[in-house]
Amino acid sequence: MRIVIGEDDALLREGLALLLRAEALDVVATAGDASELLAAIDTHRPDVALVDVRMPPTHTDEGIKAAVEARKRHPKLAILVLSAYVEQAFATELLAGGSSGLGYLLKERVGRVEQFLEALHRVADGGTAIDPDVVTQLLSRTRTDPRLERLSPRERDVLALMAEGLGNAAIAERLVVTDGAVHKHIRSIFAKLDLPPDDENDRRVTAVLRYLEDVRRKQ
Amino acid sequence: MSTDPARPRSSLRSAIGRAARRGWAGVEQLVGGFGTAAAALAVLAFVVVTAVTSLVGVGLLAVPAAARTVRALANRERHRLARYGVDLPDLAPPAPGVRGALADRSLRRELGWAVGHGTLGFVLGLLGVLLPFIAVRDLTFVLYWRLLPADPTATSIGVGTVHSTLGALWVSLLGVGWVAVIVGVVPNMARLQSWPARKLLVPDASVDLSMRVAELTSTRAAALDAHAVELRRIERALHDGSQNRLVAVNVLLGAARRALVRHPDEAEAILARAQDAAETALADLRAVARSILPPVLADRGLAGALTGLASASPVPCEAEIDVAGRCAASVEATAYFVAAEALTNVAKHSGARSARLTATLRGGTLRVEVTDDGHGGADARHGSGLDGIRRRIEAYDGVLRLDSPKGGPTILAVELPCGS
Repeated sequence: MRIVIGEDDALLREGLALLLRAEALDVVATAGDASELLAAIDTHRPDVALVDVRMPPTHTDEGIKAAVEARKRHPKLAILVLSAYVEQAFATELLAGGSSGLGYLLKERVGRVEQFLEALHRVADGGTAIDPDVVTQLLSRTRTDPRLERLSPRERDVLALMAEGLGNAAIAERLVVTDGAVHKHIRSIFAKLDLPPDDENDRRVTAVLRYLEDVRRKQ
Repeated sequence: MSTDPARPRSSLRSAIGRAARRGWAGVEQLVGGFGTAAAALAVLAFVVVTAVTSLVGVGLLAVPAAARTVRALANRERHRLARYGVDLPDLAPPAPGVRGALADRSLRRELGWAVGHGTLGFVLGLLGVLLPFIAVRDLTFVLYWRLLPADPTATSIGVGTVHSTLGALWVSLLGVGWVAVIVGVVPNMARLQSWPARKLLVPDASVDLSMRVAELTSTRAAALDAHAVELRRIERALHDGSQNRLVAVNVLLGAARRALVRHPDEAEAILARAQDAAETALADLRAVARSILPPVLADRGLAGALTGLASASPVPCEAEIDVAGRCAASVEATAYFVAAEALTNVAKHSGARSARLTATLRGGTLRVEVTDDGHGGADARHGSGLDGIRRRIEAYDGVLRLDSPKGGPTILAVELPCGS
């Protein structure tokens, strides 16, 4: 897997590169700001770009803007955005054009290497990785939705993991249940939320996120 | 500044210079006043015509225009006098319509001023215009009296005729008298000319209060803005600085754990880097906390903190701190950082042998100045930490001035609104 890193903090940039290289991943370039990052992506055509949200000059949302631009130029490029804090607006802007091959994680998730690598691979394979905190925020704000109230606690757990972008097998592993049980939960969730059932992972995440986002906006 | 008793001639010369400057400034003020006085006469004529025609109704249409003209002229006079240290705040144009003009109390006072200035001020102004001409005419009379036709060779005051060089010399002596008048009396005439303005162009008490409220509102808004800027700075320092360091620690620890399983010999090196990152994070946090409010400020106050800075300076630094009141804590912190950064720069870059730190608090303005006798050539834009300080000062509506010619000396002066 060929990776480009866009992170303005030199220490963290080197740390990330060290971690990924130790995992035998190919970090082909690192960049300190958005324009460097876009240039590196154009030159090296990586599989994945790992992008910090806040970069020079304004330290606000340069990373998100760069990610959206990079996707416009290279629709096949997978992008995993790292953020210092959960900001719903960042996630919404990033996922505006679909969730395939996109990820949005809090920076500290990188320390849990196994889960981070899993998320990285998922995004590289065209999946989605949404930070659990983003999902928790979405869910906690949508608590008053009557259709969500119909879900059982277990079904809510499954919904949250689905929203994070996990596939059936990964959900089963996390919740220590069988694939079949997960499958049953998911069908039940889609029925209760009036969503068309869909086994295709990407479209499923989009549907769930869009649903949560819609509910949030109506409030 | 230094006075040398051994040189009386130069002090006499400087006294003459001062008197000449004072006389010339008086003439300038009188002549300027002559201009506005003539304008005041014209405006008065306009007002009178408007008032008279208003009796038959037609003039009412011109009332708002007349009111605006009076206000504009009064504001012009306020501006003019500001140059001579008379502080008269501008007034907004009068409320529209006839009723607005009649209800405006300041406008009535401005009309009173126009009458006083258009008469007394006009005469004084005319004298201000004529006096220099008369003085020059008489002073140089001895040079050109022969060129004049015999009969009307008279003095400027119109008495007597001159038929000899001695007589002409007397006339020139009269010129000296005129110069004395210019130096001695004209400044007082200028004061007299501005007297109606000083009495009548001050805003009405009610207006003054509302202007004061507006001013307080805007300074309060500025203080809140500065506060927001400061909070944003702290947020950024925490998110982009300290947090990134800690994330790096976390990443390195994660990498070390993975290495322990597969290549235990590499783990040690990664752990060492993690520890470095943790130490950097700690230093970062300390710097952020200190940048919010240096503990020494809370312990010893601004005066104590600045004195401490001066005595800790590697380059001998004389401190002259006269800060009796307290300012907003964030303003004091900014002043402290300015002094600290400036003294650090003096020690690092200036090559100075001595420095001076002065701080004063006057009329709500905190002024900090650091001077050194080094080789100068300091640049506020070129790194040296001054850039961040400048932004911080601007957030508080303050001014930073760096004067550092090649060869020195370097003066860094900062003025901050006290904000308390």
